[in-house]
This record gives sequence, structure tokens and C-alpha cells, in this order.
Amino acid sequence: MEQVKTQTSDARPGFDATVTGKRAECDGGHAIPGTRFAGRQEFTGTLTGEYVDHGEPAWRWYLLTDLTRKPDGYLDDSVWCESGNLFILDEGKS
Amino acid sequence: MPSDPLRTKFCDMLGIEFPVIAFTHCKDVAVSVINSGGFAVLGEAMHTPDDIASDIKWIRDRIDGKPFGIDLVLPASVPPADTLDQLEAKIPESHRKFAREIKEKYDVPDPKGAIDLHTWGGLNQQMARAQLEVLLDERVPVIASGLGNPGFFLETAHERGIKVFGLVGKARQAKRQLEAGVDAVIAQGYDAAGHTGAVGTFSIVPEIAAMAGDTPIIAAGGVTTGRHLAAALCLGASGVWTGTLWLASRESDIDMIIKERLLAATSADTSYGDSISGMTMRVLDCPWTQEWAKPDAPRALPPPYQMLLSADYIQGANDNRREDLMTEAAGQGVGFVTAMKPARQILFDLVEEALAAFEERVGELA
Repeated sequence: MEQVKTQTSDARPGFDATVTGKRAECDGGHAIPGTRFAGRQEFTGTLTGEYVDHGEPAWRWYLLTDLTRKPDGYLDDSVWCESGNLFILDEGKS
Repeated sequence: MPSDPLRTKFCDMLGIEFPVIAFTHCKDVAVSVINSGGFAVLGEAMHTPDDIASDIKWIRDRIDGKPFGIDLVLPASVPPADTLDQLEAKIPESHRKFAREIKEKYDVPDPKGAIDLHTWGGLNQQMARAQLEVLLDERVPVIASGLGNPGFFLETAHERGIKVFGLVGKARQAKRQLEAGVDAVIAQGYDAAGHTGAVGTFSIVPEIAAMAGDTPIIAAGGVTTGRHLAAALCLGASGVWTGTLWLASRESDIDMIIKERLLAATSADTSYGDSISGMTMRVLDCPWTQEWAKPDAPRALPPPYQMLLSADYIQGANDNRREDLMTEAAGQGVGFVTAMKPARQILFDLVEEALAAFEERVGELA
């Protein structure tokens, strides 16, 4: 099984210095293979500023690293998060 | 009381008779509900772009220009990539042993063919984009985003006359989507089937309705009777999103064994856990969920590892139609699903019960 990719043929990587080093929460999740449903996953970490835009209009994904909150057993220390589901912590209560 | 308490701004927005959305993976259910005055959203997350286009045509050919929706699960986060062999190698032996013990204890048969999960291919951003392009090209009346924020394609959708709904589990997700300009927000509570947030339907619906202004809010999670519909409207919703309600309908294409289990199930017969996929989801209880819920069971692995572990059990049970082993996503409202009725009748019963509930309250106040 080929798992989800972070780099696809229409992916355009970039860097956004305005978010670099900011703490953020990601209300994440994705479809659950083998079922007709999806699952939610929550992360807290630090934005590196790296992003990838997919397609047009751009669908932007940011890299969240140094995770201080992640699902039990999540083996990696980083996650790509869709920008619409990313909440920067120092922007106040939302 | 208004002359028709079920006539809401959501009905006016779509030109439908009843503020009821059937979320279903069965095209026959969708068509029946649409032609009976409700609205239906067909779940297409696991379908190829070609299949989605075919299903859209199939529905359009049968509903005489009435509106319908298609639901996609746009991913909101993705982990780094790995191959199947690399993933399999990371599953601890303790977990494999526990899964083997369940298989032996319950005499779980082997799957009859290759495990679907191993050949599925994954839902990456590129696949999601390809699915989305079909919906935009086809100008479907409504696109529902079952997980991720649909903000990035809203402008394109609106330019093409497409309405966009977003499903949320938290108030902040709703706020973000309302600011982006979605046409309706589905506020999904903890009672729901499949993936849910941690907030109950009774709390999340009024919280989001209070911030929504003129945008319709749709209540989801545990809605299976007319009383639920009436209550949802009183909470500030303009309609309800229902899924479990239709699983045991006559038109539904799920296995008859699952239908019978749904009809027999009470609200206490679902479990909310991560033993199937590694993500929390609500399903009908089965030996797999029960064994993993025991105190001495290992902690479930994160996705995709737990899915790889459970796939043999799930597919073995389904392929061999073992009633005692099979499971299906179901919400807590399943206890009210007690008869296998045509979808049209389910809709009409829901409406009549809701109207009766409103009349009952008005009578008490008079």
C-alpha cells in the first residue's frame, strides 16, 4: 500500500517566514482506508514555515514539527497540516 | 407557532420541502429521499473520479432537476509516507499476538481474497483534488466537505453556482468556515456514527448556531426520530443531517446481516474507540472492539498500523458473512431504528413525529 504523499506532481513547495517558529494546533484527520469513514486527529507543534501548495486554486499545507501533542502512538515528530485546519496559538482565543 | 415549523431557511435555500439531509453511500436511498421532499448527500470519499462522475449522472437521471449533494473527505493532516512493508514492519509483536488470539478465540475466518486495504492506494492530496475537480466540472448543486476545511475552493465553487457545506466538530472550525463563506455548517456531535468530535450534539449545535448569523446550521449526531428533528430546530439548527437512520432502509445496499443487527441494537450497543482504525470512531460493538476495550489489551496503534492489524478480522468477517463478528459505523440514535422501512416512509415518519412534537408542546403551553 502506497501511503499518503506530501509531494505530488502538482505540488509547489515554498517558505513563509511570517509563521516560522509559531506554535499552532492542527485539527487534523483523514479518511480511514478500508472503511467509508474518516477520523479526526489533533496535533500541537511548531511551524517551520515550509509549505506545499497543491493544484489551482492553491490548497496550502504547512509543516508542523516538534509535536507536543499528537495521537497516542503517533510515531513521527512532524505532520503536514491543511492551512484551513491550522490554528496559530498566539492569535488569541478563537 | 409558525404555520409550518419545519419550513426553515435551509429549505428555502435549496428549494426542498423538509429540512432533512440523508447522508448515505447508497444511490437508491439518496434518490428516494430527494424525490420525497428531503435532501440527500452521497458519500463518495472512497470512489475514483470516474466512478463519481458516473454516480452523479445516475442520480441526475432520476431526480428531475432537484438538488443533491456529494460528500468528500478532504484530508486535514497527513503523516510522512511509507510503503506497506515498512508499515507492517513497525507493528509490535505484542499487538500481532493479541490480534492472533482474537482470531483463534472467535474462530475468525480468513478473508476470501486480497485485503482491500493493501491495494487501496491511499487518499493523498492529489487524489482528493482529482475527486474535487469532478464535482466542480459537473457543477453538482452541493459539495459537502466531511472533514477538511473547504475554504480553498469556495470561490471557484460559488462562481460555478455550487453551494458548499462544511462538517465540523468544534466551534473554532465552524468560525473559520463561516468566515470563509460556506453556505451551511453541519455541526456534528459526539453521538454520531463514524468520526466525531468530543462535544455532544446538544452543546455544539446551539454554540455554532449562535455565531452563524444567516448561514444555516445543520445538526448531526444521534438524529433518528422526529423528536430529534424538533429539538434540533429549537436548538437553532435549520435542519438535520442523518446517517444511521437510512442504513437499515429497504433501499440500503448494506448486508442484510448488518441491517438486522442495526434493527436489534440499542443506544448502548455502539462503542466509541480506536481499535479498528487507530482513530476514534463509533461503531456497532463486535468481538474485536470488545477485546481491545479490556483492561489488559494493548493500547491501539495509530493509523495506519491499527487498520493493518484489524483488516484481517474485518474483511474475514465480512467476506464470510459472520453475523457474530461483523460491525458497521452507527450512531447512538440506532436504538430508534427498529423497522426496515422504505426511505420515503422513514422521511415522512420523521416529519410527522416532529410536527406532533411541536403540537404537543404548543398544546401544553395553551
